[in-house]
Amino acid sequence: MTNLSPAFKESLEPLLLAIADDELIMGHRHSEWTGWAPHIEEDIAFSSIAQDEIGHANLFYTLLSGVIDKSPDEIALARQSSEYRHAIICERPNRDWAYTLARHFLYDTAERIRLESLRASAYKPLADVADKLLREERYHELHAEAWFSRLSSGPMEGRHELTVALSEALSDAIGLFEIIDSEQVALEYSILPESNEDLLQKFLSDASERIESYGLPFQLSPSESEGEFLATSSGEMIEGSDEQAAAPPAIAEAEGKWQVTGEFAGMGGRRGKHSPEFDELWDDLTKTYREEPTATW
Amino acid sequence: MTYEDKLAEFQTRIDAGEKVETNDWMPDDYRLATLKFIEMHANSEVMGALPEREWIPRAPSLRRKMSLTAKVQDEVGHGQLLYRVAEDLGKTREAMFEDLIHGRTKFHNVFHYPTEHWGDVAIIGWLIDGAALVTQRALLDCSYAPYARVMKRICSEEQLHLRHGEDITLELANGTERQRWMFQDGLDRWWEPIMHFYGPPSNPDKDVLLKYRVKSKSNEELRQEFLDHYVPRILDLGFELPDNGLHHDSESGQWIHGEIDWDPFWKVVKGEGPRTEARLSKRRAVWDHHRWVREALSESIWKAA
Amino acid sequence: MDIWEVFQQRGPSDPYVHVGSVLAPDRDVAIVYAKECFFRRMEGRGLWVVRREDVHRLTDPAMLEQVTDKSYRYPEAYRGVVEKREKAHAKYARKDAPKVDSTVAGDEF
Repeated sequence: MTNLSPAFKESLEPLLLAIADDELIMGHRHSEWTGWAPHIEEDIAFSSIAQDEIGHANLFYTLLSGVIDKSPDEIALARQSSEYRHAIICERPNRDWAYTLARHFLYDTAERIRLESLRASAYKPLADVADKLLREERYHELHAEAWFSRLSSGPMEGRHELTVALSEALSDAIGLFEIIDSEQVALEYSILPESNEDLLQKFLSDASERIESYGLPFQLSPSESEGEFLATSSGEMIEGSDEQAAAPPAIAEAEGKWQVTGEFAGMGGRRGKHSPEFDELWDDLTKTYREEPTATW
Repeated sequence: MTYEDKLAEFQTRIDAGEKVETNDWMPDDYRLATLKFIEMHANSEVMGALPEREWIPRAPSLRRKMSLTAKVQDEVGHGQLLYRVAEDLGKTREAMFEDLIHGRTKFHNVFHYPTEHWGDVAIIGWLIDGAALVTQRALLDCSYAPYARVMKRICSEEQLHLRHGEDITLELANGTERQRWMFQDGLDRWWEPIMHFYGPPSNPDKDVLLKYRVKSKSNEELRQEFLDHYVPRILDLGFELPDNGLHHDSESGQWIHGEIDWDPFWKVVKGEGPRTEARLSKRRAVWDHHRWVREALSESIWKAA
Repeated sequence: MDIWEVFQQRGPSDPYVHVGSVLAPDRDVAIVYAKECFFRRMEGRGLWVVRREDVHRLTDPAMLEQVTDKSYRYPEAYRGVVEKREKAHAKYARKDAPKVDSTVAGDEF
């Protein structure tokens, strides 16, 4: 990777790190269901999705390891918690199966949109990985959709659980498209073919169309009013405090429908601002590695 | 044909080594004993996933994180295979889960203990899976054919698990002082539960499972097979076995264990193991909280109209 | 008439495998036809028929492929144990213990 210019590298690194961390932390949370899922066949199915996401992380860390000369494990496991760059939605505790499904649906929608865009990246190794992973993503979405379809047309309680969980996950999901360090440079080099702001718009229209197709009581309107979905354009909304990161969901039920109001929770992850729950996750994630950082396992 | 005649004919079939299929006639005590045995086996797979899975979040590398997840996934998969076989013998999965989480049915004694560190993952993966494989291989020729069929898949996956566990063990054995300590510490804590693994010496004449060729080996035979295979391998890595009475009998070529204290075993059997209640109560909580998932999955409940 | 897929079990512990199909008006006739079409020489000891419309298939076989590295699911990934055993043996083996054959790959008893 010596032929990459310093500016190119500098913008590549935060991008790869953000994507890899998203995958790792999401895979970590998903893997917490292995052994506990509410249906045995599902336990097995969801475990594969967890393994896939950790496998994706491994691929992105491997790309990064070529850029910054550290091993994938070292990048993944030898950082302080404030050095992780995943979106906050990934670290939220699993809570229950409804929240897990809602997040799974939104995360994999976001991942597909991001990977589709990255296929056009000027950084060829990244474009290749994106292309490869999209095949697995189709399966993940199929899985999420099968559950959405069943729950949304099923008994009231399940439909209600899913609706409430989705409202919470939705406001956090915006954080997946928070601006990344050196994003402007990455755009200039076409490492990142589209800005996160543009990707967010695609995500919202894609997700809302599909959510509405299940007849779930959501109304997600695109960003007509300033500041509603434009959370990342200037970085203004992500400035700030930890309270903001832990703020309650900003989607509320009004006139029988769920509507996006106010600001979003779940911002700050791309700048290393995480929720207190991430400290616990980090403690687990790095526990054994930290015991003997030089050992092989 | 009277029940007695049918019974005699059935026993003749069994003695001749014939296999029983789900829809064949079988005596009630055969059905009950087989169901109970397979149900406990299934329970043990899903409960056995729990101690190991505690280390998925704390795995020391990305590779180990994926491989341990996959390994626990396989164990849950064994639970799936076995519950399906048990269900076809006449008990719903719902009923089996209800009985398990309320302590009315058992799961294997070895899965009632806590885990402390990565050394425990090595012990479980190599020695406990090894012990389980000794039992499971002996079931490949089981008279109940659906059970024998799933056992084929289970045993072949267990072979992989054994290597996976041995690989983790060998990294610790060849590793730093702290890593070697991890394995030894695990061994010190787990050896007694492992000696309890096959249960106390039993009377083969009273064992209905042996009579019907569901099982083919006694507890003592299985334990001996395990010792003869594993003791030399553990010593070869320079670890100490916490059993002063353990010795090699050069005449029989067997490894003879010292006295086994069965009190902790009976405590576990009564449901008073160190982690029995913690693991069951979390299962209960997840089960109770997700009733709506089961309802959504059971079309008949809401599509009746 | 419907198409019925026919499954056959050869030996007592064998799984059922698909052997072909028959055209028949109902279940009972399908069983008769399957018996005559596929079991005339006692090819098996068990027979199932399943209406073709009740057989559902994965429409996208690409989903069965493993996109990312799943080598950890296969025994071949652990070939290294033989070498690691020898390494540990050389350094730590108890001299008083009977010899173990550490050259055997796997642990097949």
